[in-house]
Amino acid sequence: MEFAFTPEQEALRAEVQQFIAENVTPEIVEELESTGIRRRGPKTREMYQHIAERGWIGISWPKEYGGQAGSRIDQYIVEEEFARAGITVGGAGSGAPAILAAGTEEQKQEFLPGIIRGEISFALGFTEPQAGADLAGLQCRAVRDGDEYVINGQKMYTTAAHYATHIYLMARTDPDAPRHRGISIFLIPMDTPGITVRPLWTIQNDPPAPLGTTYGDNRTNETFFENVRVPASCMLGEENQGWYVGAMGLNLDRVGASRYLISIQRDEDIVNWVKENEIEGIAMREDPTVRDRLADMWIEGQVCRLMTLRSMSIVEQEGTFTYEGSAEKVFAPEHGVRTTETIAQMLGPYGQLLNGSEDAIESGVFAHNLMGAFQSGINHGSVQVMRDQVARRGLGMPRV
Amino acid sequence: MNVLPAEEELMVKNAAREFLDAECPPSLARAIEQDERGYSVELWEKMASLGWFGISLPESYGGGGLPVTYLGLILEECGRAIAPVPFHSTATAALAVAYHGSDEQQQTILPRVARGDLIMTWAVQEQDPRLRADAIQCRGEVDGDSLIINGVKHFVDNFSAAELMVMAVRTAAPTDASAGITLAIVPTNAAGITETRLTTLAKDSQSKLNLDGVRIPLSNVIGEVDQGWPATSEMLDTGTALLCTQIIGAARKDAEMAIDYAKNRVAFGRPIAGFQSIQHLCADMIVWVDGAQLLTYEALWKLDAGLPYGVEVSQAKAFTNDKCQATVRSSQQIHGGIGFMMEFDLHLWYRRVTAWTMRLGTSFEHRARVARALLDQPGKVRLGMNLQPVA
Repeated sequence: MEFAFTPEQEALRAEVQQFIAENVTPEIVEELESTGIRRRGPKTREMYQHIAERGWIGISWPKEYGGQAGSRIDQYIVEEEFARAGITVGGAGSGAPAILAAGTEEQKQEFLPGIIRGEISFALGFTEPQAGADLAGLQCRAVRDGDEYVINGQKMYTTAAHYATHIYLMARTDPDAPRHRGISIFLIPMDTPGITVRPLWTIQNDPPAPLGTTYGDNRTNETFFENVRVPASCMLGEENQGWYVGAMGLNLDRVGASRYLISIQRDEDIVNWVKENEIEGIAMREDPTVRDRLADMWIEGQVCRLMTLRSMSIVEQEGTFTYEGSAEKVFAPEHGVRTTETIAQMLGPYGQLLNGSEDAIESGVFAHNLMGAFQSGINHGSVQVMRDQVARRGLGMPRV
Repeated sequence: MNVLPAEEELMVKNAAREFLDAECPPSLARAIEQDERGYSVELWEKMASLGWFGISLPESYGGGGLPVTYLGLILEECGRAIAPVPFHSTATAALAVAYHGSDEQQQTILPRVARGDLIMTWAVQEQDPRLRADAIQCRGEVDGDSLIINGVKHFVDNFSAAELMVMAVRTAAPTDASAGITLAIVPTNAAGITETRLTTLAKDSQSKLNLDGVRIPLSNVIGEVDQGWPATSEMLDTGTALLCTQIIGAARKDAEMAIDYAKNRVAFGRPIAGFQSIQHLCADMIVWVDGAQLLTYEALWKLDAGLPYGVEVSQAKAFTNDKCQATVRSSQQIHGGIGFMMEFDLHLWYRRVTAWTMRLGTSFEHRARVARALLDQPGKVRLGMNLQPVA
């Protein structure tokens, strides 16, 4: 075991910190707050170009696809520092891990350098109205027709669909096969005829959440596919193997796109806020109960950090893991919920004031977190499904 | 950065597990609960022959010279096997001598510990058991070449088995320059010590000592008179981190017993492992123990690397206390009635883990220390930073 970074890694961290200090300007923050954290306005796009030029997006990807062939730990450092500034980097959530693992050479060349340059981004098209946690029940159909597939169906919570260039779509290609074995994955341009995107507004939209909010997306979407024709070369991996490609991709995507990195700002911000601020002359930092609960949250935050590092260490050493990514996805979201709910009770009535309200604390970020933190226990595999996975993959318990 | 044990570390850990699987059945722990000596002499001697007791002591004094993480991994396995030997108290006291003792003290003590010829313990806590200098009221007075000790020491492990104690006493009132604490080596057979044996939940060996004019040579003082608090605090931190490894080892074994039991116990027409309510409880148990283990390894690693580690120790102990207690309680829940029958072994683990969580600092104490480090010194804090403890 080795709980320290190398001097080179520390230098990388310092470089990233300096970049953030120089480039994440108030104008960028303002733009991010107006577009939603993940959507990129012109100033943010320019900043991402600079990040890409430094080689920090896809830093652990092979050089032939525009990466730096760095370690997972390098990737962790870059993601962690940007997460502290409220910015997502690293190709996480992009489908890139699955493309790296299962894509053809052409697909890797087509997508990975473009993701790094910020020219390509993916919406995730997995969930459907009747297939959420039980994803294998999905109904969206893709029917082979010569060199093409014709796609019909509906996807839910396709969060980036209104600005992404592509959708990472899971569809049923063999309705007669056992349900896990009749699914395929497609990488489809969003401008393909027959795709319609309709907004779904989240509880974060009124008023919009400030930067620093956990899960600040104010908009997600439902996406409809009506006789959408795509070339067969859009398929990722083998036909009818999509369940396994997708599961592996999600699993790898959990590493780094981890719950820890989502909660890190909140964990640190609340301690630093309590340390430096008072509410109407009341110094919460002197209250023994507050101190005990803050320490408790901090310790849990450290556990989230270490579980993330464990996943990174395992992937770096062995390529993939059994239950550890799921374990992280059980602990971290529930830590996030405990934290936000504890902060609520610390702040009392001030804690309920939203962005823009008189007397809102830090633009209402802690109030907005109460509308976001629990979402991380639902998205990308609910904590219940994650517990199933820990029990089955980690502990050898039977399928229910 | 690689939080996984390295191959050499795993070899040592696995060897310890194999040895203890063969040599330390639960019946041994059960038998020793009724044994006056409070430990298994036979197991102790076998362990000594494997070189475990000196594994992290300096090579120049007969030790293995390996990082203290190795000692932690072995103690984790001892916890798993609930091995009834005075290893933890010996290691804690011996490391205090190794880190702070004079050359002569090290020469006299460490080779014997490494060979297994010397059982030790530590004596810091008193009626006020909090781990802070001002809770130490047992008096030490310098008289010529001697230190004379009067007072009470409480919750002393393995007193009757041990030959030497590393004891903290108050030799002066606290000042800005010193906490007024002196750390010294005290033989357990010194005249003036009266032992009262305590009956613990773990049914292991803890004692309350009355010290009445106990006289030891000044050469037994570790470091300088009045200047012993930093070494005392470090001994407590080392002992706490090592105790965490023991708790984690025992709690993981306890969880595994519940998982195995669930796979075999049939109710409502199937093994109860097929019910999600049981699966999710088992998943939580493993997530909790994993978290405690990661925190503990980080603390031990930082200790060995010469980095600040006190806050990490407190993080580990607070989390370990709460989550490992929850783990063994959940294991009892899964076992149902049979789990608390005397003839069934599960309670051997439950009672130990529960008792150990109350020793060397409660969750409240350790979180208060984390809070001091976070809130009572200037500067913004970041997860993963090296944070200095605040007294």
